[in-house]
Amino acid sequence: MKQIALAALAAFIAIALLALAAGAFGHSPSAVLAILFEGSVGSSFAVRETIIKSIPLLLTGLCVVIAFRAGVWNIGAEGQFIVGGLAAMLAARYGVAASFLAAAIAGALWASIASLMRLWRGAPEVLTTILLNFIAIHLLGWCVNGPLREASGRYPQTDLAMATLPRLGGVHFGSVLALIAAIVSWWMLYRTTEGLRLRATGFNPAAAKFAGINVAAQIVRAMAYSGALAGLAGGIELLGVTHRLFERFASGYGYAGIAVALLAQLHPIAAIAAALFFGALSSGAGELQRSANISATIATFGQAVVLLAVVAFTSRWRKRDA
Amino acid sequence: MLLLDHVTRRFGSLVAVDDVTFAIDPGEIVGLVGENGAGKSTLMRIAAGETSADAGTIRTRSIGFVHQHFALVPRFTIAENLALRRRFGLVSKKRIERLAEETIAASGIELTRVDRLAADLSVGEKAKLELIKAIATKPELLVLDEPTSVLTPIESAELFGVIRRLAATGTAIVFISHKVPEVLAIAQRIVVMRRGRIVEDRMAGGRTAEDIARAMLNLSDSHAGELTRRAGAPAATQTLLHLDNLTLRASEIVAIIGVSGNGQSAIVEAIHALHLEGAAFIPEDRTRDALVAEMTIAENLALGAPRWNRSEAGTAAVELIRRYGIRARGPNQLAAELSGGNQQKVVLARALERNPEIIIASEPTRGLDIESTRFVHERLRDAAANGAAILLTTSDLDEAFALSDRVHVIYRGELSASLTPEEAERQAGALMAGIA
Repeated sequence: MKQIALAALAAFIAIALLALAAGAFGHSPSAVLAILFEGSVGSSFAVRETIIKSIPLLLTGLCVVIAFRAGVWNIGAEGQFIVGGLAAMLAARYGVAASFLAAAIAGALWASIASLMRLWRGAPEVLTTILLNFIAIHLLGWCVNGPLREASGRYPQTDLAMATLPRLGGVHFGSVLALIAAIVSWWMLYRTTEGLRLRATGFNPAAAKFAGINVAAQIVRAMAYSGALAGLAGGIELLGVTHRLFERFASGYGYAGIAVALLAQLHPIAAIAAALFFGALSSGAGELQRSANISATIATFGQAVVLLAVVAFTSRWRKRDA
Repeated sequence: MLLLDHVTRRFGSLVAVDDVTFAIDPGEIVGLVGENGAGKSTLMRIAAGETSADAGTIRTRSIGFVHQHFALVPRFTIAENLALRRRFGLVSKKRIERLAEETIAASGIELTRVDRLAADLSVGEKAKLELIKAIATKPELLVLDEPTSVLTPIESAELFGVIRRLAATGTAIVFISHKVPEVLAIAQRIVVMRRGRIVEDRMAGGRTAEDIARAMLNLSDSHAGELTRRAGAPAATQTLLHLDNLTLRASEIVAIIGVSGNGQSAIVEAIHALHLEGAAFIPEDRTRDALVAEMTIAENLALGAPRWNRSEAGTAAVELIRRYGIRARGPNQLAAELSGGNQQKVVLARALERNPEIIIASEPTRGLDIESTRFVHERLRDAAANGAAILLTTSDLDEAFALSDRVHVIYRGELSASLTPEEAERQAGALMAGIA
């Protein structure tokens, strides 16, 4: 398949440029590659680390896939992730299931603010969702410095959440949930009436409208599904990894979801592979920081390169198809 | 001048253009005719370098191409759209508007108020703007792809005048159409294509619509192009929709005719906004409003259905492809890959298969070949016979008079009183021009 080859090429270019960039800072490119490899898939510890990093990436990636498929530019996975984490924290006393339910609902509602603003005032989601991210970040900041600050009051963070995800072979149970979410997303998009309407709305809202689809309601629902996935990602990250909330809780997972979705060419199953790739990049970059003292933000650089490559290639294909 | 030499182009298993050689003299007007999907547009797009050929030689000429689908920037004004072809230089609003007016005046085409947005123009005006754009480059060859499909008879006559003037100054012209009488009226030489091949290439003199249509269709005896009038309107029955002075009744076909851009689409929009149960729409702009190009035929057929099941929809699509004679590889082919006529059949199948009470058909045969047009007409008549109320907006007057039981003429958003087709035929010209 053209699309898979294209995605692989984008990933390859990213890795190559990353090694060259490290070379520019006086490290041997081959040594950097070796460390990246070692830190991402070189040991069972590294593999676990990669998978753990992939879980939120897959869920925020699916969030973006669903929204983009409906033609909505939801750039707000970061904010939806944060409110998901907050809701999960508050609901944790009622157990893991309740906590996740709260996280998904919170994410859906947070995303719905943007779609309601679209309905009432025609405000574009690409702006409202990104602005809602800032609001969510500050809301979280206020919470961990104020009402939810840990009892000892020492750091700006919450106490430990009152529920924890069970573990499965050294990886928390969120991995299974994320995989199920990917399969359900695929099934919804390609096997249900709802998915047919959602995709039609994204591809051609005018045609969807004349065929009898309520486009406005469809977009509101798509945003809600999308937000729910990001919210769930926040809940899973809290109960599975961080166990507390702090200011940098989301640490860019929402934005990285956009990279995952685009590398996966908006396909939910391909998103699994894309999330694993970025997860590996991120855990490999962690190892680079530890053993070669190269800042782990180099992973962000890798994401950016992949994004640019995918965007460049896809517009090329489009031109050729036309 | 030689344009194409033994050119072949395949799309998958389909040979769109099959070993075609094509030449044209300066100042010559050639009519290129053939059914939908015969390869006319593809052939000319190869000549213009817009698509590649798999084999053969292409001579590069400066070619102006007016496409069937508009290539305008909707949020730019007329003047800005015309200024787009300028390569460099400073632009001021005043300057580009003056240049636009000059360009328009030089083209001999009437188009006023260059500060209007392209999005606000009627379809006919957009077509004019496209033509002006193409002429402005002073090409050796001008290709017009189904230019009259969006024009009223008066606008078509205006266009023919422009074409003859251009030819007189030495521009070669290729006129792609499947409206045979029109091609006979304008072309000096007529080239007939069928399934990717040129099957006839003769001077127009002495030819009749009849034998050209026969060559297009490969029929021994043809009754092509004949529109038979609908036999007697049924006694007025149940009223299904009432909107101002427009009334739709069961088993009745009501046509709205008029120069495009006089409010036809506003009426369709108004009816759509009522969210009627049991109303089906055949939108005017197929690619924009009717089909999702990126989705399959089966998916498009199922769009808007209350429930969708992939495998059932696939089976149903196979059946519809057969019954509606849609030329496709199968139900999972993308809608974008179909020719215009086959796309329209998909739209028609979707609209009719749900047995709607009301059908709103806007320009249902625009750009279709004779065979497909006849098919669409038959299906609409069947639907009316089965009790549907049909509203037809069309710029093809013959179609309106032949299909409808009653006719309204629209002018500047106002509907005339309800007329019989015979009355309409007598008064249409005056009413459409707002004189009566």
